[in-house]
Amino acid sequence: MTYDVAVVGSGPGGAVTARECARRGLRVVVLEEGAWVEPGSAEPYSLDQMRRQYRNQGLTVALGRPPVAYTEASCVGGGSEVNSGLYHRADAQVLQEWSSAHAIEGLGLADLVPWFEAVEERLSISTPPGPMNAASDVLRRGAEALGWDGLDVPRWVRRDAGAAPVKQTMLRTYLADAVAAGAEVRSGVRVERLRLAGDRVTGVVTDREVIRAEHVVVCGGAVQSPALLQRSGLRRNVGRGLSMHPTVKVLAQLDEEVNDPADLATYQVKEFAPAMTIGGSAGRPGMIALGLSGTWDRDRELGADWRRQSVYYASIRSQGTGRVRAVPGVRDPVVTYHLTRRDLAALRAGMGRLMVLLSAAGAQLQVPSYVGAPRVSAPEQVGPAVEAMSRAAAAVMSVHLCGTVPMGEDVRRSATDSFGRVHGVANLSVNDASLLPSAPGVNPQGTLMAVAHRNVDRLLEGSR
Amino acid sequence: MTARWEPAGTTVLTGGGGWFGRAFLDAVAHPRPEHGPVARDGQVRVLAASAAEVPAILDVLPRAVVHVGDVADPHVLERLFEGAAGASVVHAAGVIHPARVADFDRVNVEGTREVLRAASRVGVRRLVHVSSNSAFGVNATPDDRFRQHEPYRPYLGYGRSKMAGERLVLEAAASGDTSSVVVRPPWFYGPFQPARQSSFFTMVAAGRFPVLGDGAQRRSMVFVDNLVQGVALAEHAPDVTGQAFWVADREAYPMAHIVATVAQVMREEGYVVSGRRLRAPALVGRLAERADRLLQDRGVYHQSIHVLGEMDKTIACDISATEAALGYEPRVDLAEGMRRSVRWCAAQGVSLAPRRAER
Repeated sequence: MTYDVAVVGSGPGGAVTARECARRGLRVVVLEEGAWVEPGSAEPYSLDQMRRQYRNQGLTVALGRPPVAYTEASCVGGGSEVNSGLYHRADAQVLQEWSSAHAIEGLGLADLVPWFEAVEERLSISTPPGPMNAASDVLRRGAEALGWDGLDVPRWVRRDAGAAPVKQTMLRTYLADAVAAGAEVRSGVRVERLRLAGDRVTGVVTDREVIRAEHVVVCGGAVQSPALLQRSGLRRNVGRGLSMHPTVKVLAQLDEEVNDPADLATYQVKEFAPAMTIGGSAGRPGMIALGLSGTWDRDRELGADWRRQSVYYASIRSQGTGRVRAVPGVRDPVVTYHLTRRDLAALRAGMGRLMVLLSAAGAQLQVPSYVGAPRVSAPEQVGPAVEAMSRAAAAVMSVHLCGTVPMGEDVRRSATDSFGRVHGVANLSVNDASLLPSAPGVNPQGTLMAVAHRNVDRLLEGSR
Repeated sequence: MTARWEPAGTTVLTGGGGWFGRAFLDAVAHPRPEHGPVARDGQVRVLAASAAEVPAILDVLPRAVVHVGDVADPHVLERLFEGAAGASVVHAAGVIHPARVADFDRVNVEGTREVLRAASRVGVRRLVHVSSNSAFGVNATPDDRFRQHEPYRPYLGYGRSKMAGERLVLEAAASGDTSSVVVRPPWFYGPFQPARQSSFFTMVAAGRFPVLGDGAQRRSMVFVDNLVQGVALAEHAPDVTGQAFWVADREAYPMAHIVATVAQVMREEGYVVSGRRLRAPALVGRLAERADRLLQDRGVYHQSIHVLGEMDKTIACDISATEAALGYEPRVDLAEGMRRSVRWCAAQGVSLAPRRAER
C-alpha cells in the first residue's frame, strides 16, 4: 500500500509530525529503528536504560581534540523517553540570531508562541509544587548566595491529585494521539536510504522492504537525519554545521545527603544564559563513578559516599562546529566536532563559576571531571583547578545536538527552506533538531516541537 | 541600601601621588555631583611614595597633610596612622607597571598587609582597597561580563599580586578585624593621567594604535571621576564590609569603538587625527601575551608588550551589584570622559598631537 506520509524516526519531531498528519485523516506510518520500551519499564538514568533505549548503549563520541562524548536515544519516542524532561521555550534573542543569520522566515517568538502553547498544554508543562529536591537546593542556595539568577525549570510531568507524577514522554502523548488517530508505528525498522527519481522520493528503503509514501518526513535527529540524506545522495549543506552544548562536570560532596538516584537537579542557573548554563546531572552511583573516571586512582574510595554527592555541570553555547559523515558500508556515521579556543576558555570559565557556586552552597570537596584534576576544598583552589584543564585533559560531553540540516532561504547555506522542505526534492521534509541552526542554549526539545508543529502545519496547508 | 555614614574626622589616603590619588584629592577640593559623597572637612592625610610627588599633591589639595615613604614600611605607616582611630582609609597605593616584577609583591601584597596591620592597630572605621580586574583574568567571550563573585584567575604577575592583596583585605573583613571593602576598577582614564595614557592618545591620533582582530573584543573602562564616586560610596556605606565591587562606566565598550571615540574627540578638540586605522590579527595579541609571560618568568616587565598582550582580550564587568548595594551611578560616559582627559592634557601643556592650523 501507499501511505500519505512516512515519518522516519519517532522522537519529538516525528511524534508531532505523525500526530498532526494522522489527525488530518492522512494515512501515516512511523518507522523507528529502536525498540518499543513501555515508559517506566526501564529505571531512569540506569545502565539498563542505556542498554535498551540508547544508541550503542550510550557510548557515542564526536571525534576531535578533545573528543566530545554524546548520547543519542534509540527507541520509540526518542529522547523524550530518556531525558530529564526539562522544558524551555527558545530565547527570543536566539530566534532573532537564527532568523537573520540563516534567512529563516516566520521564526520570531510571536510566530512560535501559539505552537509553544500547544506543546505546553499537551505535555502538561508544570513546575512541581512544594520544596525542591536536595540536589536542586544546592544550586538554589549557591545561586542565591552569589546573587545569580536561576529557576526551578518546568518539566513535562503530569501531576494528578493522589497519583505519582508521570513524565509525559512521546509514547504517552503525541505518539498515543497519533496511534489513536490511525497512525501505524513500526519499531525495530531501520531506514537504509531514500530512493529518489528526479525531484521526488519514490520509496523508503528499510532493512525489510520498500515503503511508498506521497510525502516523506525525516525525523531521525541531528546525527541520523543527515546520515540518511547523505546515504540517499543528498549532500548539499547536509551534515555540516553540527552544533551542540559542550559540557563539563564537577562532582560535589556536601555535608548532607543530596543524592536521589531516580531524579536529578531541576534547578538551573540562568545568570549567564543563553551563553552558559549551570545545572545538575543524573547521579546514580555509576554516574558518580563516571564523574571520577579522570582521577579514578586517587578518588575511587570517594564513591562510597555517593549519597552525599551529586554531579553538576556547566554547559556553553559553542562557537565550534562539527560534521556528520555517512561512510559507505558502515552502520553509523562518523561524527566530528571541533571545540575552538574560545569554547575551551568558556568551558573553563563555566567550570570555575560552577565551583564558586558549589563552594558558596557549602560543598566541602569538589572534583572537577577531567584527567588528572586536583581535588578542590577551598575557593582559592578553584582558579588553578580551572587553568589546569588543558585541551588534552578535558573531558567534554554533550547532549542537544542540532544544526546538521539547517533551514533557511539562503540556498548556499541551508539544506531545507524555512519550513523544513528539502531544497530540490518536492516531497521530502526534515522535521527535527537538525533544522535548528545551532544549539539554542537550553534543552531544545520544546523549541524543536514548536518548530515541528509550525512546519507540519505549513506542509498540510500546502497539500490541501 | 541604608543611610550613609557622615564623613569621618580623618581620611588616610595611600598612593596619593598616583593617578587615582590625585583625582580623588582634587574631588575632595572641588566636589561635583559625579563624585558622590567625597566632600569632607576633616584632616586628609596622604602617603606619597617619594618627595617628588609632594608638590603635585599639594597642588590639588593644599590642606593635605603629606607623609612620604614606602607603603610597605611599618614605621612610615605608624606615623601615617597615628591617632587615626575612626578614620576612613583609602588604600590606593599600588604598582601596575613596575621596573621589576618583584615590585608587584613588595608594594601590592606587602604594602597591603602593612596598611591593614596599621589600620587595625588604631581601629579605623572603614578601609577601601583599590584592586583591579587583573585578579580575574579575561572573559571567555565578548558578551561575557564578570559578576561580583568570580573565581580568581589572575593575569600574570600584576594579577597575582592584586589577588593576594584582595584576599588579605577580605580576610581582615571576615575576621572582624577591620571593616573593609574592595573596589575593582578596570582600565581607567581621565585627568591626572600618566605619560603612558598620553601616548595612547598620541598613537590613536597618528593612526598607530593597533586594533587587534575584528575589534569586537570589549573593555570595561572607568572614568576616574566615576571611580572617585565608587570609592566615596564604599567609604560611607555601613553594611557592605567584606564585599567587593566593580566600579566602571555603565557599559563595556568594543575596542574599535574606544579607538574611534578617542579619534573623534581629538578631532573635535582641534588635533590633527589620521584617518588611518592600524589593524592587526588577533594572533599578535596572543604572541605578545606569550612574550610577556616569558619575560615575567624571568623577572622582567615590559610595559608595551604587556599592554599589547591584553589588546585582543575582552575584559568586561557587570556593575549591577555595585549599583544595587552602593547606589553607584556613573555619570560620565566615554566621549565626555575622553574629552575631559584631552583637555586636561592640553591644560598641562602635554603635547598629544599636532593641532590644526588656526585660521
